[in-house]
Amino acid sequence: MMKKHRNLLNYSFDCLRRYRMRTAVILITFLIATTMISAVLFTKDGLEREAELSVDSSPDLTIQYIKAGRAEPISTAYIDDIAKVEGVDRVLKRTWGYAGIGSNTYVVVGLDPTGLDYSRGVITSLESGRFLMPEDDGTGNVVVGKLIAGMLKVKVGDDMILLSESVDANKFHVVGVFSDESSIYTADMIVMCLSDANDFFKMPEGMVTDLCVYVEPDQIPNNVAAKMTSMPNVRILDQDLLLRGYRAAYGARGGIFTTLWTILLVAIALIAFSQAIVVGHESKFEVGLLKTFGFSTLDIIEVRLVESAVLGFFASSLGMIIGFVYAAYFNAPALVDILLGWAFLPKEFHLPVLVSATSVFSIYAVTVVPLLITTVVPAWLNAITDPELAMRRAAA
Amino acid sequence: MIEVRNLTKIFNRGKFNETVAVSDISLKIKDKSIVALTGPSGCGKTTLLSMMSLILTPTSGEILYDGDNLLSGSDNFKTNFRRMNFGFIFQHINLLPQYTTIENILLPLYAFDADPKEYEERAYSWLKKLGIYDRATHLVEQLSGGEQQRAAFVRALIREPKYIFADEPTVFVDEETSRIIYRIFMELREAGKTIVLSTHDPELIKVADEVYRIKRGSLA
Ligand SMILES: Nc1ncnc2c1ncn2[C@@H]1O[C@H](COP(=O)(O)OP(=O)(O)O)[C@@H](O)[C@H]1O
Ligand SMILES: [Mg+2]
Repeated sequence: MMKKHRNLLNYSFDCLRRYRMRTAVILITFLIATTMISAVLFTKDGLEREAELSVDSSPDLTIQYIKAGRAEPISTAYIDDIAKVEGVDRVLKRTWGYAGIGSNTYVVVGLDPTGLDYSRGVITSLESGRFLMPEDDGTGNVVVGKLIAGMLKVKVGDDMILLSESVDANKFHVVGVFSDESSIYTADMIVMCLSDANDFFKMPEGMVTDLCVYVEPDQIPNNVAAKMTSMPNVRILDQDLLLRGYRAAYGARGGIFTTLWTILLVAIALIAFSQAIVVGHESKFEVGLLKTFGFSTLDIIEVRLVESAVLGFFASSLGMIIGFVYAAYFNAPALVDILLGWAFLPKEFHLPVLVSATSVFSIYAVTVVPLLITTVVPAWLNAITDPELAMRRAAA
Repeated sequence: MIEVRNLTKIFNRGKFNETVAVSDISLKIKDKSIVALTGPSGCGKTTLLSMMSLILTPTSGEILYDGDNLLSGSDNFKTNFRRMNFGFIFQHINLLPQYTTIENILLPLYAFDADPKEYEERAYSWLKKLGIYDRATHLVEQLSGGEQQRAAFVRALIREPKYIFADEPTVFVDEETSRIIYRIFMELREAGKTIVLSTHDPELIKVADEVYRIKRGSLA
């Protein structure tokens, strides 16, 4: 039986070659669709991974002071109480907020100089310069994200001016630039030591934005958090909650994804369907002829399926490669706007593109599967009709 | 032996355009003979030939090959039977225009569990014999009607089928090709093949061992 399947395979390829117009139409439409889909998906996956990474590098528990249901500065006096809770390893101060440069907003984060080594994970991966050291506290030394470095055209060793709320000019000195590996969550970040951030935000004496709790290695953060619930006026965030927060933020844009998916799916199905009908009609005569020669219904379906599968897989694979290049190397112009709300990305910045097996699989699923289904039905209808018309009509 | 019993074909049955194309025809075709169906245009020759060659399902009746009623078999069974035993020559020739002559000839072999290339030699010797050897790698569109029908003969004969069905094989061909066709049919009969054909061509009728005249779907 092997030789026959090889023959049918050869015949499928012959058909692709002979019906060039048809092949080209499917190829081009599928290419465009998969390029769009994959650029969006790969970028979305990358952003999600970044969110998870940044959560990984965030504290086990974050303590906020709540007044009238909103987070307000928290007194460092809480530290002693929290440190006493069983299972708590360390409590660090953190002050953060937003600052504007021109029309853009950046995140300013002030880290406790006694616990800089706790800013573990991706946050500390640098492209150039160095990370903060305890001695930097009060000096105005900062590490900036790649996006900021690119837009302000600053590099290690340069000074930069940030305007605070009271419109004082604050001079900072760049000692390091974050690398791509921590792209999105450090991209618009200016990291400095705590007292610089407290000065910048004019925090009242003894107040910080929140407290970062690290639990002992053998402790489960949730269990430790449970022991703190008796403390008045605080909110305790664990990593799960943070992650859910990130996911919710994506959820807001999720509507766009759903809409995109739906439009693309419908478009693909329609194209595949209309093509299949045209093909079915075109090849009705040829199928009749093949059947007189003794090609069975299954043989004919096999030929058509192989044709569609080859075409579908080729177009989708190529589309994914183009989509990947578009997102990873060209920063997906027009797409970042929808995904991130940024008008453009500077050249030196790279989107955190991630090619996940799930995405690749679902892209194949929404492109190849409709094509196969819409191929089988007309092929089968052709194949089961009496091939008598081979006697009646001249070959097209 | 092919035996046709009370074969009837009614197109569009029960509709306003109902057509009785073949009505209650019975006949027997001996092995190793040439049988011609003749009669005016629209009398039902093509319909009868299609039913005998199992590519059109009759409304009623039986078709027996060596005593077996093949109509009771499944579609797959009939397909297999065609593949193993039949060769077709069509009035409209029906080579696929996007293929070369040799590709068209080897096309039926794609349904077999064999390498079509193994038949190339045989195909070329047939092409040489029919005087179109130099046309082998041309697209069939570039061939004349007569050359095309000669190529179609090679396609039908490549697997040396036992039965050959030919629907008006000389209608669209030149005289030289017609003479070649008469000769091939006689040679095939010598080789033990059974040929069922329909025709208006008096010269072709002369070649036949038996001639059935059909009139409005019935044997005259
Ligand atoms: N598919 C069909 N549907 C309806 N009528 C048909 C069909 N095929 C053939 N006919 C009719 O059947 C009759 C016999 O046709 P045919 O067998 O082609 O005759 P012949 O081959 O002798 O010219 C004609 O009246 C023709 O119009
Ligand atoms: Mg006819």
